[in-house]
Amino acid sequence: MSLIHIKDLGKYFKILNRREGLAGAFKDLFSGDYRTVKAVDGISFDINAGEIVGYIGPNGAGKSTTIKMMTGILKPSSGMILINDHVPYDNRIKQAQIMGVVFGQRTQLWWDLPVIESFKILKEIYKVDQKTFDQHMGMFNDLVGLGALYSQQVRTLSLGQRMLCDITASFLHNPQVVFLDEPTIGLDISVKAKIRSLIKELNRERNTTIILTTHDLGDVEALCQRIIIIDKGKILYDGDIKKVNALFGAYRTIKLQIDGFTDSTMQQLQEKLKDKFGMTHGITTAQTEEFWTDVTIDQARTPLSDVLGFSMSNFKISDVRIVEISMENVVQKVYDGALG
Amino acid sequence: MRRYLAVLRGTAMVGLVYRFGYFFAILGNLLYIGIVYFLWRSIYQGRDTLRGLTFNETMVYIALGSTIFFLLKTYSDWIIHFEIREGIIATYLIKPMDFQTYALFAVLGSTIMNIFAISIPTVLFMIFVLKVSFATGIGLALFPLSFIFALVISFCIDFFVGLMGFYSESVWGISYVKEVILMFSSGALIPLQFFPDGIREILLWLPFQAVFHTPLMMVTKPKLELDTFIPMLGIQAFWAIALIILTRLFYHQAIKVLRISGG
Repeated sequence: MSLIHIKDLGKYFKILNRREGLAGAFKDLFSGDYRTVKAVDGISFDINAGEIVGYIGPNGAGKSTTIKMMTGILKPSSGMILINDHVPYDNRIKQAQIMGVVFGQRTQLWWDLPVIESFKILKEIYKVDQKTFDQHMGMFNDLVGLGALYSQQVRTLSLGQRMLCDITASFLHNPQVVFLDEPTIGLDISVKAKIRSLIKELNRERNTTIILTTHDLGDVEALCQRIIIIDKGKILYDGDIKKVNALFGAYRTIKLQIDGFTDSTMQQLQEKLKDKFGMTHGITTAQTEEFWTDVTIDQARTPLSDVLGFSMSNFKISDVRIVEISMENVVQKVYDGALG
Repeated sequence: MRRYLAVLRGTAMVGLVYRFGYFFAILGNLLYIGIVYFLWRSIYQGRDTLRGLTFNETMVYIALGSTIFFLLKTYSDWIIHFEIREGIIATYLIKPMDFQTYALFAVLGSTIMNIFAISIPTVLFMIFVLKVSFATGIGLALFPLSFIFALVISFCIDFFVGLMGFYSESVWGISYVKEVILMFSSGALIPLQFFPDGIREILLWLPFQAVFHTPLMMVTKPKLELDTFIPMLGIQAFWAIALIILTRLFYHQAIKVLRISGG
């Protein structure tokens, strides 16, 4: 039996159609003009104990709404959720005991108090016994050196330190499932790496199921074996990360700033790349911002250095940037049938 | 229960963190009482009583009045409204506890801190520096109970206003209206004795006076008969229970709206 069972889950919101201007705002007070938005539109999946699942999608795809339903904050409009065989919103207090949640944008720690006090308060709230508490605090200290932060006020922590504290705090009561909503948002690369290894370690140590929503595809690559892609409230893909990996793992976009750029430059570049590498080699060109030409390549088929070298020897290039593929691009590729 | 006591301990500690703020709160309060002391001393010059009140009684009324009023302000309306607007409430709803009980114990924690940090120094200052003497009597014994009722009523009113944040984004307006009604009909602005008889009769039945007037009577006129205090406590108890039930219903309704229409 799976730990999380979701079947035909839907969540609809009624939203008032707001009118423009002050007069419009007054009319809205008496308006009955609603439209229905399907934030989550009939999704189903099962998650087993001990899995780390990446739950990804662009902004407004329905990720947070799904998480809020699983944690019992929101009630589904249709379908059902069972977590550990119980409905989350019916036994909220009981269910809260087996869950941990981190909302990346807000903290569950006490802003004005030293870090250790938040852990002590959480210990009482979740009724963690002293022995387990000591054992867990010891483990957190070994993993990320939490001990050094104990006496520091939460509001004086850096964003990265606060996130390390928040994540460990959500594991304090040894929950069966932990929801991490954007845990690496706004962090630099080295802190991201630290957080990823912490999550991995906690999952291994306790066999805790982890649902991770993120915008950073690097998080997914580093942590998940399984990925669920959602867009516009529907599931686009649910399966092994290896298959999707090719989509964003191997793809890179080279952004070129070409001197003397005219309307025909892009055309020329496209043709020259086609002559050299052939159009079946996963190279596409596009212009997404002024003065920059984007060349997206599939590294599995064509080495990045070849394309870059070729472009530089044929055009006078003043600036180059290499970027990883974005979430929006991945979703677009899935729509275009990239997963077959 | 232990989980809520941990919350109480937490907010009490938050109070201690800002000891510098407390230092100024105490200083400000003592300054206020000092000014009031000299003001009334000059008014009482050469007279023993004014409108039947001795200087000592007036001092006790005003000084304790300001302390009690300060203690009974919970600010829950602002805090809860802020937590709803910023979506912080989600972090409470994922915890194995009841939000309303949590909010009550958070208030208790900071109130206990305030008693030690502000009320006790004020009373000591009055006794040892200003040489004001306090009357004793049965009222003093009933005061703690009356104060707890008053705090619960005050919390419920503020919690109710705070919950309106689920329906309206501009709770500050409602909150100001509440503040004015409370100031006026609790006896905090003008002692209830000065109101016309008919209006006073009505006010004495409302929950607002139970927040302020009743506990203050216990400490300023402790020598009154038990027969006078019992009905006052009865009204307080009634409102405390009625408001707990009312806010409970409203809370469940508001949470239902949240669960269905989102934050």
